[in-house]
Amino acid sequence: MSHHRRAVLALVAIAVTTTACTVGETAQSAPTGSGSGSAPAQQQEISFLTFETPNLTPEYWDSAIKRVTDKYPDIKVKKLVAPTVDRTGYAKQLLTSGQFPDVMLAVSPADIGAAQNLYAWKPEELGDFLVPDGGAIDGKVYQLPANTQTIPNVYYRKSMFEKAGVTAPPKTYAELLEAGAKLKAKGMTPFVVGGGKEAFPSVLPLTATVATEVYRKRPDWMTARRAGSVQFADPDFVQALTLVGDLAGKGYIDKGMLSLDYAATEQAFLKGKGAMYPMGSWFAASGDKSDIKDDLGVFAWPTADGAPLLPGYTGGGLEVSANSKHLDAAKKFALAFQLDKSNLDNSVKSDALFPAIKGYTPPADTGPVFKATYDLWSQNVQANAVVKAFSWETGGDSLISGMTPKVYAAVQDVILGRKKPAEAAAYLDTEWDKAS
Amino acid sequence: MGQGLLRRLAHFGVFAAPGMLVYLCFVLAPIAVSFGYSLTNYNPFNPPSRFVGLRNYQSLLTDEEFLTALKVTVILTAIIVIVPNVVGLAIAVLLDRNGWFYNAWRATFFVPVVLSSVVVSVVWTRMLADDGIVNLVLGTHIGWLSDPDLALYSLGGIMSWQMLGFCVVVYLAGLQAVPHELQEAAAIDGAGPVARFRKVTWPMLAPALTINTVVMLITAFKAYDHIQVITNGGPGAGSTATIAFVVLQTGFVANRQGYASAMAIVMLVIIAAASAVALRLLRRREVDL
Repeated sequence: MSHHRRAVLALVAIAVTTTACTVGETAQSAPTGSGSGSAPAQQQEISFLTFETPNLTPEYWDSAIKRVTDKYPDIKVKKLVAPTVDRTGYAKQLLTSGQFPDVMLAVSPADIGAAQNLYAWKPEELGDFLVPDGGAIDGKVYQLPANTQTIPNVYYRKSMFEKAGVTAPPKTYAELLEAGAKLKAKGMTPFVVGGGKEAFPSVLPLTATVATEVYRKRPDWMTARRAGSVQFADPDFVQALTLVGDLAGKGYIDKGMLSLDYAATEQAFLKGKGAMYPMGSWFAASGDKSDIKDDLGVFAWPTADGAPLLPGYTGGGLEVSANSKHLDAAKKFALAFQLDKSNLDNSVKSDALFPAIKGYTPPADTGPVFKATYDLWSQNVQANAVVKAFSWETGGDSLISGMTPKVYAAVQDVILGRKKPAEAAAYLDTEWDKAS
Repeated sequence: MGQGLLRRLAHFGVFAAPGMLVYLCFVLAPIAVSFGYSLTNYNPFNPPSRFVGLRNYQSLLTDEEFLTALKVTVILTAIIVIVPNVVGLAIAVLLDRNGWFYNAWRATFFVPVVLSSVVVSVVWTRMLADDGIVNLVLGTHIGWLSDPDLALYSLGGIMSWQMLGFCVVVYLAGLQAVPHELQEAAAIDGAGPVARFRKVTWPMLAPALTINTVVMLITAFKAYDHIQVITNGGPGAGSTATIAFVVLQTGFVANRQGYASAMAIVMLVIIAAASAVALRLLRRREVDL
């Protein structure tokens, strides 16, 4: 082999390798200004981990942060953005690499080693919150119980229901199946269920059926699973998986949509690729921004006997690193961010959150989808019919670390017919044992 | 030992020390630390960790998730080693001409290589969606990414597409280094184009084949980013989860970093062994020239 040829080959290899090493990097942090004007003396900089979705845009975060830093000019905030909606996974990476943020949002406390790494809020600091023990772990609250989300609601297209001859939202499970049959007969896909890189859109039908088949009978089921006194392979949980599998088996869930990520799943529903969309209450924000907001309705996933039931969870707020260099500033920022009236209003309008703050009422100018979703929740609260939302719990009542992706995988296997419900349940028990 | 030899060793040491130090700090030390972790049940969120000996390695032998990931990795590697090599060679032969037209095509084929794998993944995810352009053009309703029997091959196709340009450029460099005298001599001896390629060109491309094969092998074994963005290891449990993907999921999602370290060490051994075997076989072919 000649020197010339060797040199050419080596140079090509080096050039390509160098390029490959550099092109995949994306910046994840963007400093956010702390208000206009010159920096005040003794300004303390804290980092704040956020995440972006179609509802929670960079502008949303920047303006929310600015409102607080305008109020407290002694605090400067460096905004961090999780590369995907899996902010818990990203927070873990930051923690293990010594870059744990001072403040973070909606990171699962149970997954992050709350007792060692997160500040436990004192009861007197939680006086403004409606559910001050929301998401507690061993009696300690690490995440501000700032808002409630109902997960899932069933959003539907009124026009598609009408076309299929479905005259009213289903009130019983039998009526839901009947609606599915009518929609399918008219050539419409009854349910939009996605997955893709986030995978969580796949789990929403299961969250609903676990509520109706498991949590309704035993609200503390997950705590019991943690204690080992129940199993996924128990008949009720298998039945929850069976109901999801049956929907797919009947062709009411389009298996092809499992490759759609969250944003694409939402678009598929808004574009009429399916008539019903099991999704968390945050969808109401997108629904209200869409051109078809008046065509959207919402109902709770029905129980077999038609009794009211709605899964939901209160938590989801900010957390503070217990080891923050500026702990007081981080706490002050977190509480101010969470209790700021404009921020709460924006969280309602942008992400359709139900702030769980004493004395707070949502703005009057919210859209019809939010109002319908909020009313549905209020009705179920009055009927004492709210249960926890399976796989969305974040406190001591949550899935153990590492189990959430396994649940997503299991429900996808059931939808795809790769696993029978009993096999998927057994898989979850095996994975639980491995993870615990 | 003469003073000259000592001086030469000292010279060698001075020049080699920086490189050795970097290699020690950033390659050997992390491997040693990982191996240490692999002998424990280290979980950063559930201290303290305990020494468990080789139990993690024993568990891997019966861990269905790991064994599935191994199978997925082997299939993906086979696709990524074979497809870009074969197609890349064919394209390189077609583009082994002078002129702006051929130069433009070379650049075109190389563009995907310099694109971020995340960008490539996002674009292909949209194109292969149920209602994406691929199904639209073909008039089909194929679940390229949602059918667990197809998703892995779709991923292999996407990664092969991205790496194709690398193989094309390396083969082109190899082709342009084939002496014209040899080609002319073979032609004078009556060899046709096919015979000239088999007897002259192909043997002379042995070094390029070595580079392409080893680089593709390592790329495929380390595959993570495309999978994370396109399928997240699914659909379902592990249908597209490679060892690298499972290592990261186990280490950073399930927090079982001791166990994940054992997986990583096994992966390192497999990559090293596969690369060594491939290099040995391909180098032997080069020496035989």
